[in-house]
Amino acid sequence: MIQLFRKERMWRTHDLQRSYDVVIIGAGVHGLATAYYLGKDHGITNVAVLEKSYLGAGNSGRNTAIIRANYRTPEGVPFFARSLALYESLSRELEWNLLFNQCGHLTLAHTDSSVDGLRVRAETNQIMGVDSRVIYRDEIAKLVPALDMSDRPRLPVLAALYHPPGGIIRHDAVVWGYARACDRMGIEIHPFTEATDIHATGPASRNAADTPPGIEPPEGKITGVETAKGGIAAKTVVNCTAGWATVVSRMAGVSLPIVTQPLQACVTEPLKPFLDKVIVSANLHVYVSQTDRGDLVMGAEVDPLQSYSMLGTLPTLEQMATYTLELFPQLHNVSVLRQWAGICDMTPDFSPIIGGVEGLEGYYLDVGWGTYGFKAGPVAGKYLAECIATGKTPELIEPFALSRFRNETLVGEKAAAAVSH
Amino acid sequence: MSDKTDSAHRHGASPRGSDESSTSPNSVSTNAGSTRQSPVTFSFNGRPIQALPQDTVASALYRAGRRTFSRSFKYHRPRGLLCVAGKCPNCLMNVDGTPNVRACTQPVQAGMQVTHQNAYPSLDTDFMSLAERFSWAMPVGFYYKTFTHPWMWRIAEPLIRRAAGLGRIDREFRPEANHDYEHVFAHTETTVVGGGPFGLQAALDAAERGEDVVLIDDQPALGGHLRYAPGENSTLPKAFTGDTDESALAAVISRVLDHPQITVYTDATCFGVYEGNLLAIAHRGLDSPAAQRLTQLRTDQIVVATGASEAPLLFENNDLPGVMLSSGALRLIGLHGVKPGERAVVVGQAERAESTSQALQAAGVTVAGVVGPADVVKAVGGKHVTGLKTTTELLACDLVVVCGNWAPDAGLAAQAGGQIEWDEARGVFATGALPPGVTAVGAATGAGLPPSLDTARKNGANAKKTFVCPCEDVSLHDLSTAIAEGFDHIETLKRYTTTTMGPCQGKMCKQAAIDVCAQETGRTVRETGRTTSRPPTAPVPLGALAGPHLHPVKRTPLHAKHDELGCVWMDMGEWKRPLYYGAPESKQASVEQEYWAVRQRVGLIDLSTLGKLEVVGADAGKLLDKVYTNRFSDLRVGRARYGVICDEAGIILDDGTVSRVADDRYFITTTTGNIEFVQEWLEWWQAGSGWCVHVTNVTGGLAAVNVAGPKARDTLAKLTDRDLGNRRFGYMRCRRAQVAGVPSLMLRIGFVGETGWEVHYPAEHGEHVWDAIMAAGKEFDIRPFGVETQRVLRLEKKHVIVSVDTDATSNPIESDLAWVAKLDKGDFIGKAAISRAQARPPREKLVGFVMDDNVLPPDGCVIIADDRPAGRITSVRHSPVNEKVIGLAWVSADLAAAGGTIGMRVNGRLVTATIADQPFYDPAQERLRQ
Repeated sequence: MIQLFRKERMWRTHDLQRSYDVVIIGAGVHGLATAYYLGKDHGITNVAVLEKSYLGAGNSGRNTAIIRANYRTPEGVPFFARSLALYESLSRELEWNLLFNQCGHLTLAHTDSSVDGLRVRAETNQIMGVDSRVIYRDEIAKLVPALDMSDRPRLPVLAALYHPPGGIIRHDAVVWGYARACDRMGIEIHPFTEATDIHATGPASRNAADTPPGIEPPEGKITGVETAKGGIAAKTVVNCTAGWATVVSRMAGVSLPIVTQPLQACVTEPLKPFLDKVIVSANLHVYVSQTDRGDLVMGAEVDPLQSYSMLGTLPTLEQMATYTLELFPQLHNVSVLRQWAGICDMTPDFSPIIGGVEGLEGYYLDVGWGTYGFKAGPVAGKYLAECIATGKTPELIEPFALSRFRNETLVGEKAAAAVSH
Repeated sequence: MSDKTDSAHRHGASPRGSDESSTSPNSVSTNAGSTRQSPVTFSFNGRPIQALPQDTVASALYRAGRRTFSRSFKYHRPRGLLCVAGKCPNCLMNVDGTPNVRACTQPVQAGMQVTHQNAYPSLDTDFMSLAERFSWAMPVGFYYKTFTHPWMWRIAEPLIRRAAGLGRIDREFRPEANHDYEHVFAHTETTVVGGGPFGLQAALDAAERGEDVVLIDDQPALGGHLRYAPGENSTLPKAFTGDTDESALAAVISRVLDHPQITVYTDATCFGVYEGNLLAIAHRGLDSPAAQRLTQLRTDQIVVATGASEAPLLFENNDLPGVMLSSGALRLIGLHGVKPGERAVVVGQAERAESTSQALQAAGVTVAGVVGPADVVKAVGGKHVTGLKTTTELLACDLVVVCGNWAPDAGLAAQAGGQIEWDEARGVFATGALPPGVTAVGAATGAGLPPSLDTARKNGANAKKTFVCPCEDVSLHDLSTAIAEGFDHIETLKRYTTTTMGPCQGKMCKQAAIDVCAQETGRTVRETGRTTSRPPTAPVPLGALAGPHLHPVKRTPLHAKHDELGCVWMDMGEWKRPLYYGAPESKQASVEQEYWAVRQRVGLIDLSTLGKLEVVGADAGKLLDKVYTNRFSDLRVGRARYGVICDEAGIILDDGTVSRVADDRYFITTTTGNIEFVQEWLEWWQAGSGWCVHVTNVTGGLAAVNVAGPKARDTLAKLTDRDLGNRRFGYMRCRRAQVAGVPSLMLRIGFVGETGWEVHYPAEHGEHVWDAIMAAGKEFDIRPFGVETQRVLRLEKKHVIVSVDTDATSNPIESDLAWVAKLDKGDFIGKAAISRAQARPPREKLVGFVMDDNVLPPDGCVIIADDRPAGRITSVRHSPVNEKVIGLAWVSADLAAAGGTIGMRVNGRLVTATIADQPFYDPAQERLRQ
């Protein structure tokens, strides 16, 4: 509380040193969380976090800030449940209120097959200790009186997966909170310091074009990073980027089985409290929540085309509006203030790539987060930090190794990921 | 683009307002662009208010004496009219149920119900204004720095939430089914956004070059600032021949309106420029505050003539009611004939202050003084301004007119990909280099704007009461605190303080925030930069974006028949299909009756929804070999074969039958929902191959039925000359035939496990053939059957339904469909992945099972082994012939052996099932071949 009246810098500025133990590329929630847990859990603080823009300029500041753990697969559920648990105690740990509102999360189903899908998730969740159950029309109407439960919509709501601990958080606050905590431990944060190359020993032509598609990395060891502000020596480099994960990884000669697609969202003018649950409709490809400020935030599914464009498009804006009005027709005269896009790194199985890379010592990945990376920031950071510090891959992140694409042991999350928000 | 009689055009066709009907003693001639002729009455908070023809809601209220129009977002400070241009947040009201309407630009309609927002009990006495007393305890970042314990936040959050927000929505309200929103698609050569003098000139220039022109303006009439401030701009384009009086404007507007090449949209806001010069334009509804129409306009050239917005200066209490922008005061006078006050102080520099004073005096306002911005200390007053304190004196007044800084409205140019550059000389961010096809004219380029003043002046006044962002109540003090805390980049500053993120979208605060940021960090304004301009540049209602509620429903040619027969409908994608025939309460009995008809006699199902493609050409077989896992180039004419399509990862995408009807012609069926996808997929792989093959979607042109059951042959034999005997028309054969006199394609296929034919025939004859079959089958007691019955029938045969029994991770090997993947043929999509899948032990398998005690689990029930999820049921039904509950399920490979036991939880109870590797009905596959 004292901090309320203290003017204290959140993070200091530093000159770039010549060497660090660990260099993390990307100062979003993943990069900062990794740095934070390296320092807090493992005492590794000679760390630089590089960011090509301002802190949280990427997807950490562009997502719709939904937190949930009701995934579908036995690999995904414990992972996101751990992340949810970390988020629950994070405000206190960072002494920085992340405005985490565990208002409850409903995934709506409008078709019989979607209802079946919800049942699979509910049962899997319950078996693995996550609070989640299928509810039907009467209970939905009570929980969300604003929702149109009539037969007017083309696809009326049939059932929902209700996940009480799910909710929304202030995404920027997570970035700032981690950044401040990192700074207090002596970890250096370098905004506007773009990594331009990654150095490693090994084949002379460490060139992504020479690597077989996707997965076979060249033998070698990481030696450092080149930045817009000069070179840095480091034996460990962590790629925590989103949107450009493939581009950054190619600097290390590791190509990734990732394609990049924009994801769009929009926000309305502030309204008095109208909706106090997160509403996701897989069939309608839209998700809606209301922030504490009163704005309604809406998101779409990923754009159908691969692109690095962060410009919003009109068809997607119209689609978000159309689907939102299917759920909440009374919002027809509420106005949209802003639309924006983030770019998402999609893997073939809708699951991330975390951990070391066989054959390239010192290179770690925390990428491929598709449309659900923000939810996983703390857990990915914590266990990746453990992986880096101990050299052993923790069990929780083992299913998400890059090598799964070579071994074809993909995670089945795609099956549940029509909308994964 | 030729719609000259556009209603928006009509609306703007009267560029000059009527100046004869005003009843106000302080009336001045106006230029409101109203078409209404006589005064009307509307209601504000239940009280009647008179409005003149030229009035907006706000101007009528102002004339009636109202000065407080809203309460601010955070501290509930009283707020009065500021911009009078629909840009600032100060006059947001609820109009006829629409929240957050900018009252200052909302035309009055008789009987309108207007209510205030965000204040209780009234605008003049708002209990929530107590919040301001505690503003000392709520510095910037307040929420982040407090309530860090989860329990504290759980208590505080609902309270904060309740207090936040502006407009109110009725949760229970359900609008009528078809709201009157409309989408229009148009194209033109040149679009001019902004109907001020430079926009008018640009439109005339383009039209005179022979181009088709659309001219868009967000006001009810053309003319831009000349409508209310004819003296403001000294440099006018040539059409005005240097003459700024109203007759010159009227003449130019007439030329524009009369020009055959120019279409004018007034009351229309271009809120976005999207890729490919696509402009999104929201038209104000004529009868309702919500925009009723969205035009999507493709254009070759865009001329950005959007002008500039005036923004407030920074001094203490700069947000008090009675502190008004000069353009706001001039608009009240010039457009609405309202006198903005009795005694004014003008804050501004030399010429502008001078001309503003003159305009005020001409309207009958006493000007008590002109003060240079550097000399202002603060505005004085409680709920309304009573004076302006300068460094030397206190000037009593009821109006402070601020000649604020003009910032070019360059957002559209930025969205179009243009550079927005800092113009050091003028002190503005204006359009710089623009992409091809985009030009900017007038004030959007910074041209003609008075030099900006330093907004970040303090004069030792209370920075906590100096508001930079009126939308979010962000003070100068908040900004400098945030910057000191390290939020010193304009983007982080924006996100931390929420400056520029409110309803004005930064129009009132963007430049001031940049100036403060530059000053506090010691950087230049150019280095400080600006935040991204995103669409929409003005708020757009969701209803206008969504457009009319059009949800296509696809009906088969037999739809009316099913209705007559009393079916229960189901949705299958956009299609409607009969689920079963009979009353919902007797579903089980109906399904069983239909079931036994097929198993024992003959049944008839409508398959018209199946996707149907013709693949024609010398290389058709090659394409199918490439895309399907099976081989089709060797399929003999007259034969049909089941086929599966996989992606590169070997995941099953679709299935169906492929029939070779001629050497170079295949007829393909796909699943109902995947037809567009399969067509695109085939075309994708055909593209660039150089193969001679064409893919045609014939789904809509054909009706299809399946006649199945032991008596199917006897039934159809009455209707066709074709020999349906097994020797001439065996299983998996296809033949062209006349069925009931209609040319048809017959496929001998056994999805439900009985002798049966799919009959595909022209949709025009849908009911005729159906009726003929029903008549022919009458002696066998034929019954139509629905999707539910079909699902039971096929489940007994263990026939997989793609996307019901498979999902986005299923390959043919694990789906018990290994036989469809012909790994010995040349390359096909998914071959490598399927080969690898075959080489390694499977992780999961799709298996059949029989419930041990006839419990019926739900579809989607999870299989449990060792207290962990180990699979899921995809389909489960009661099998009438077996009198058992049977199903298909994904289980982990170690559980998949025939005879093994799997467990699941049904209604809280653990139950078991036994795995079966054979079809549950006719495992020898004899009946469908009979």
